[in-house]
Amino acid sequence: MLYFFTSLYFGIIGAILALLMRVQLSVPNNFFLSAYYYDQAVTMHGLIMIFWFLSPIAIGLANYFVPLQIGAKDLAFPRLNAMSYWLYLSGGIMAVLSFFVPGGSADAGWTNYQPLAVLTPGSGTTLVYLGLVLLAASITLGSINFVVSIIWLRAPGMSLDKLPMFTWFILFTIIAMLFAFPTLIAAFALASSDRILGTVFFTSTQIQPSILWDNLFWFFGHPEVYIVLLPGFGIIANIVPQFTGRPLAAKNAILVATALVVLPLSFGVWMHHMFLTGIPVDLQGAFSIATIAISIPFDVITLSFVESMIRGRVKLLTPMLFVLGAVVLFIIGGITGVFLSSPVLDRVFRGSYFVVAHFHYVMVGAAIFSIFAGIYYWIPRFTGRMYNERLGKIHFVISFIGFNVLYFPMNFLFDMPRRIFTYPNIGNWALLNGIASVGAFIFAGAQTLLAANLLYTWFRGPPSPPNPWGSPDLEWKSQPVLTPSPTAPTDTSESPPAGGWIGQLATPASPATETHAAGAEHGEAHYSSRPIQLSFGAMIFLMGAAFYPGILAIGLMVIGGALFAVALGGWARDDLRHKFAPPPEEEGDRWPFQGVSKMKLGMWVFLSSEIVLFGSFLAAYIFIRGAAVTFPAPGSIHDIPLGTLNTIILATSGLTMFLAIQAIRQGDRRRLMQWMSVTFMLGSTFMGIKISEWVNLGSSGFTLSAPYPFNLAASAYYIIVGLHGAHVTAGLIMMVYLMKKTKDGEYTKESHEAIENFGLYWAFIDIVWCFIFPLFYLL
Amino acid sequence: MRTSVAFGVWAYMVIAVLTEVEIYYMLRTANYDLMTAAVSVLATSQATAIVVFNMQLKDEPGAIRLFALIPIMFLSALLIAELASLG
Ligand code: HEM
Ligand SMILES: [Cu+2]
Repeated sequence: MLYFFTSLYFGIIGAILALLMRVQLSVPNNFFLSAYYYDQAVTMHGLIMIFWFLSPIAIGLANYFVPLQIGAKDLAFPRLNAMSYWLYLSGGIMAVLSFFVPGGSADAGWTNYQPLAVLTPGSGTTLVYLGLVLLAASITLGSINFVVSIIWLRAPGMSLDKLPMFTWFILFTIIAMLFAFPTLIAAFALASSDRILGTVFFTSTQIQPSILWDNLFWFFGHPEVYIVLLPGFGIIANIVPQFTGRPLAAKNAILVATALVVLPLSFGVWMHHMFLTGIPVDLQGAFSIATIAISIPFDVITLSFVESMIRGRVKLLTPMLFVLGAVVLFIIGGITGVFLSSPVLDRVFRGSYFVVAHFHYVMVGAAIFSIFAGIYYWIPRFTGRMYNERLGKIHFVISFIGFNVLYFPMNFLFDMPRRIFTYPNIGNWALLNGIASVGAFIFAGAQTLLAANLLYTWFRGPPSPPNPWGSPDLEWKSQPVLTPSPTAPTDTSESPPAGGWIGQLATPASPATETHAAGAEHGEAHYSSRPIQLSFGAMIFLMGAAFYPGILAIGLMVIGGALFAVALGGWARDDLRHKFAPPPEEEGDRWPFQGVSKMKLGMWVFLSSEIVLFGSFLAAYIFIRGAAVTFPAPGSIHDIPLGTLNTIILATSGLTMFLAIQAIRQGDRRRLMQWMSVTFMLGSTFMGIKISEWVNLGSSGFTLSAPYPFNLAASAYYIIVGLHGAHVTAGLIMMVYLMKKTKDGEYTKESHEAIENFGLYWAFIDIVWCFIFPLFYLL
Repeated sequence: MRTSVAFGVWAYMVIAVLTEVEIYYMLRTANYDLMTAAVSVLATSQATAIVVFNMQLKDEPGAIRLFALIPIMFLSALLIAELASLG
């Protein structure tokens, strides 16, 4: 729930920025905000709303209700969850602080189009970028946690076909996050490295850097818009049956369409954001068709919602009103989207307020309205109290009116460019903008009613019946704690005592043992302070990096790095002392992943996001190679025989790692230790050779400040090979830890999961090198 | 995986990388495109060997394979479209 409240807080910041903009735009030729502040407000409004408000608020709800819905006590990895929260907060702090540094915050639009954005000086923008990297890291960790939880922690009997719709759509969202966010990390890491280290990914004019950025950003960006939308759809699908008295129409069709069409295609339509970048016409055609194709499953979903409402007897209570609003607004937004998917029409609408109207109808209209529906729907389960129905209805009516007054006029402003801070008094621009600004204040004002209702419910609300909506879902089978104390719950671990919801579907277990298990297990794990230390360490370090160079910067980096290292050591020490011993794993419904352990599943999910991370970097490199007219022949720069030798060394360490695993499978701890040591030595040799190569390259003038195209080659080489080297180094550190545990006699024939999983990681590092070596040394 | 297979994979890794380098010296001026193609195939085969044997994907339930296949599918789309957008 901490997630949830934090995201509301960022939502308020985002809203204030929006109101500032609307004040500025309310009348023509206004100078309330100068261009300097207006550009920051636009940019940060977009970034904060999308990354620190909309996605996290859905994750916050999911954090609380997904475990309840699947009959689990908590998410699979509680400490990872805490880590994910603190990274999210750290990233947010960096983003907000950026307003206060000289030069201000990022101001090139939420898409941060390069090279425009590279050219804006100042540490503020860099802070935002690095904050986004932290946020993306947080999301990736969170995704791993949710995927494993939903796959692995379902209570016995909770087979996939019984999974509630909200959980299903969270699963879809999370899968899209897992594969989209690594590309965001790659994009902003490259851009930050341009700003801090002086690499030239987006400043070499010879390689069409804007196309490179657009591809990376929108490859992430389009899935991101679904990431924002899908949880809302999950809420709608989950709660409509309770208000219509009949099951959701075509439920399975919705699931199949989302899983097989929306998810895969969402990664195949991004170029509709690039119709005007001069990409070839055939490519535009392909992406236009893909975009129209992806709107078909949305038609199915929308029709199903509409059909369910028409056929059923609709009870117009607050949650249902918001559902209705969301569906209506989604239909409007979807229709405008289809217009935009035509490359021809897009020529007219591109960059105008028509686009602004489009995405606000879907993002605010569809996504936020359905999240409001979810809040009203679930607040009785969360507080044990009922919200005020009359106030809820008023909130809906005013929000709906305010929203349309705000955005509907923008549909007619298709001739007014967006992202301008003021405008001349032409045609009806003044009138329409004035109306929109009034709408903005109505809409924002309406949200105080939501706040009032939440507070009222929390402290005064009448006790709610145990299952007010007659829902069949598992979350209502357990009871919330009534009478919340005035101190708001500060952690997800405040989830109410496990009144026996696990095994509800199979055999009711005895509540006593369960309450005990829940408290002992995650209660304590959550209170580990290591995740906070790690996140803040990373944050301070990156803040320093953003201000680099200078004494202050280096000081911050040292402090941050030290805190990070101490926290990491502490974490390892906690584990060695078994401070947070995991509870024994219970049997659950795991199809189709039976027989895969929780940790191994986590490892695979992690590696699958790593594939996208490295893949995005390598794809960027391949793009650069393709775009650059001249590029130094790698063989003329790098020492090929030495590289070959190093490749063989790494491959050999893969073999010895396997022998180590084989040893412990036979229960031979001594041989495990020996082979681990050999692996460690080979890995260190690999790194040693790498470092010597770097030193040689540096002294022979292969640096970031070399003349073009050497600076470009150097940028790519140092960043990508460096990233791989960092992974090797992390592997070496983990090996020290594993060897320490081996020495303590922790691993046995039956129990040596950590070794097996480390083997997966190490093999993955080897695979990446299989591509890096030819790409950088040969081709 | 039996130990003999592990040695087999390792031997393949070594032979493949040596072949890559050999091909590079043979073809880099004669036929750059052919060299690129051959080296890419070799690199992919190395990666596949590790995934299948060292990471034991062949013994895992099919669903796990999705976690390897899906990202590769998406990345291929990115790569192809990216290169195509160069025109
Ligand atoms: C019904 C299917 C949809 C279609 C066919 C569609 C199509 C498009 C197209 C073609 C553009 C590019 C417009 C331009 O820049 O000229 C666009 C922009 C945008 N769409 Fe959609 N869209 C759809 C649904 C959504 C949804 C569900 C969301 C979010 C929840 C969304 C969010 C956005 C955003 C944020 C932008 C603007 C990006 C920017 O800042 O330039 N769209 N849409
Ligand atoms: Cu899009």
